[in-house]
Amino acid sequence: MKYAIETHNLVKIYDNDFKAVDNLNLFIEENTIGGILGPNGAGKTTTIKMLTCLIPKTSGSAKVAGFDISSQANEVRNHIGMVPQLVSLYKDLTVRENVELCADFYNVDEKIKDKKIDDLLELVDIKYAQDKFVKQLSGGMQQKTSVVASLVHSPDVLFLDEPTVGLDPTTKRVLWDLMEQLNQEGRSIILCSHDMYEVDKICDTINIIDSGKVVANDTPQGLKDQLLKNKEENNEYIRRMIRELETENSEDNIEEINQLKSSLTTEDEWVTVMVSNINEMMIDALENLDVVKQVINMGEGRLNINLKRSETSVNAVITSILANDGNIASIKTNDPTLEDVFVAITAKKRKEIK
Amino acid sequence: MEFNKFKWMIRKDLLTVWRHKVQFASLILFPIVMIALCGWGMGGTVENTPVVIVKQTSGYITDQAINAIKSDTTYDVKDILDDPDKAKQMVDRGEVKAAIILSSNFEDNSSRNVVLYIDSSDQLTTQTLVPTTQKVFASLSEQVKMEQMGANVQGNNPFAQTTQAIKLQVNRIYGDIKYMDFLLPGVLAMTISMSAMMTMGDSIAGERERGELARLFMTPTSVSTVIGGKIISQLIREMIKTIILIVVAVLLFNVVINGNPILLFVVLLMSTLCFVGFGMMFSATAKTQEDYIQIILPIAMPMMFICGVFFPTETMPWILQKIAYFLPLTYANDALRAVMLQGANFRLVAFDLLILLLFTLLFFAVGVMRFNRDI
Repeated sequence: MKYAIETHNLVKIYDNDFKAVDNLNLFIEENTIGGILGPNGAGKTTTIKMLTCLIPKTSGSAKVAGFDISSQANEVRNHIGMVPQLVSLYKDLTVRENVELCADFYNVDEKIKDKKIDDLLELVDIKYAQDKFVKQLSGGMQQKTSVVASLVHSPDVLFLDEPTVGLDPTTKRVLWDLMEQLNQEGRSIILCSHDMYEVDKICDTINIIDSGKVVANDTPQGLKDQLLKNKEENNEYIRRMIRELETENSEDNIEEINQLKSSLTTEDEWVTVMVSNINEMMIDALENLDVVKQVINMGEGRLNINLKRSETSVNAVITSILANDGNIASIKTNDPTLEDVFVAITAKKRKEIK
Repeated sequence: MEFNKFKWMIRKDLLTVWRHKVQFASLILFPIVMIALCGWGMGGTVENTPVVIVKQTSGYITDQAINAIKSDTTYDVKDILDDPDKAKQMVDRGEVKAAIILSSNFEDNSSRNVVLYIDSSDQLTTQTLVPTTQKVFASLSEQVKMEQMGANVQGNNPFAQTTQAIKLQVNRIYGDIKYMDFLLPGVLAMTISMSAMMTMGDSIAGERERGELARLFMTPTSVSTVIGGKIISQLIREMIKTIILIVVAVLLFNVVINGNPILLFVVLLMSTLCFVGFGMMFSATAKTQEDYIQIILPIAMPMMFICGVFFPTETMPWILQKIAYFLPLTYANDALRAVMLQGANFRLVAFDLLILLLFTLLFFAVGVMRFNRDI
């Protein structure tokens, strides 16, 4: 398997003895979109700086696009592009001048330079503004220019550090589409972001970094499934403990049993059902179900139903609606989000540190 | 309520300074350094001016004249020679500010002459040395007359002939220098140094702060290429400023440039390069422009007072005169004054140029070593 990024026990200790990256083992396959998440101060920025050869590592090893970041730094630089969070373009140069400057710094062949720049400007739809000064552009257009400047040498790996911060939803979507398009063309994309929706939407894999280490690594759905699984495993363990204590049938255990019951994860689940013919009987029937805690008729054929989470609860709701002559147009369960996963993992880590 | 907000505004600013080491050090040290240097550099009097005396005869009056000069703190007699030409050469080479040449018939009562051969390119020293020397010899004339009168009364007269007053002839070797003529080389040196240092702050620390440098350093480009490019662009900018300054001075204030224009260009180029290097050295590791300014200001401002831009270093205490030797502005100022006022040739400014070159190499070496690619 080829990796766009692979690090082995990568360490960075700053002059003040602060260990920002602690034996990091990070692997992102080539031709994928890999997300790097982490709370503030987790070591993401330091990792990116080392991988883009801006600062030296303290120990360990790392390869980017197959080149060693220490011994082949210029090869690494030739094969990567970077779109920083802070738009780092020269504000008093035009869009085209900025891109030309980058092309020359990347030693792009003079014969293909102009065409390459034209193609890229058209790709992100800013060719019409190529002669405008960067300072005259909106945030979104500046970020598009930054992307073009980072792509002018056709890098294999493109790093994007919070590329859509401060951009409007439409411009965000344009950039997401662009990232997916670049990935389809064969580029590896490394996305650092705090926007969970963005990461969930476009990343193939996610690495969550905390305290300088990778603490979770999977696909977005895999991480969410893992969170549910962990919760269920935890609940199952607690239930087993409760059963054991109850079989002892001792009054001394009552307090402990109550404590264990309160620690069970009893997250409610909301289900939104679109039904074409809602009636009173149907709502009464739903409210009388054991698994249903609350039914809210939102109007226009929409029911929001609060369920006790169990494997059969959604089945029971569907059966009840159908039994009351309801026609179900759609049903949507509210699964855990990537944000839930992120909070659960990083909060757990904080607890361990304390 | 408003009072609390007001209080917080003050407290926030003061806490920021207190917690920011560079800013706090600058807050304390800058005024101390400035007032000390202004006091010593601008408020001082011209003392210990290096001079040479030419003694072509021996005798009582000659000894009296030499003693009178030596006992005056305005002069620092470096040597007593018997050859007027050698003494003049010392002045021409800038080793001393003036030669006091006692005539070969100085012991002759009928015609005592003194020539003050003075480097008039140093206006303040000239303004002090000429009247002081006139006073010294007027006083000596009076003393000689009184002694003659006393000897006549006692009937033991060593001055058989009538005593004439000592005639002082002042030979300003660069003519009468206007204050503007005197000031221009210093202002040029100061403009170059301040401007080069300040713009390097924006060029490196500013670009680092705005993330522009990081983009360049993520490309396969060496630090020396980036720095080299910045140096050349700064050189061009500073040279344009300098040329405009000279042209305006010549057109508006009739400033006369005595030296070779090509040599003047070389001196300006070398000085600019040196100060660009100076700025580069300090901006190499400054994270922000604010940090850079706090570092550079306490060095740049005092340099103007120590290095003889407005006032000769001779007016300063010994320790400041020694410190001036370690600052490049002293040599830039010296070389520019030599070329522009004295019409000096390459040989006469070669030492200043060499020192500027050594400073430049030192600044670039340290700057490149300290430079890092970190954002």
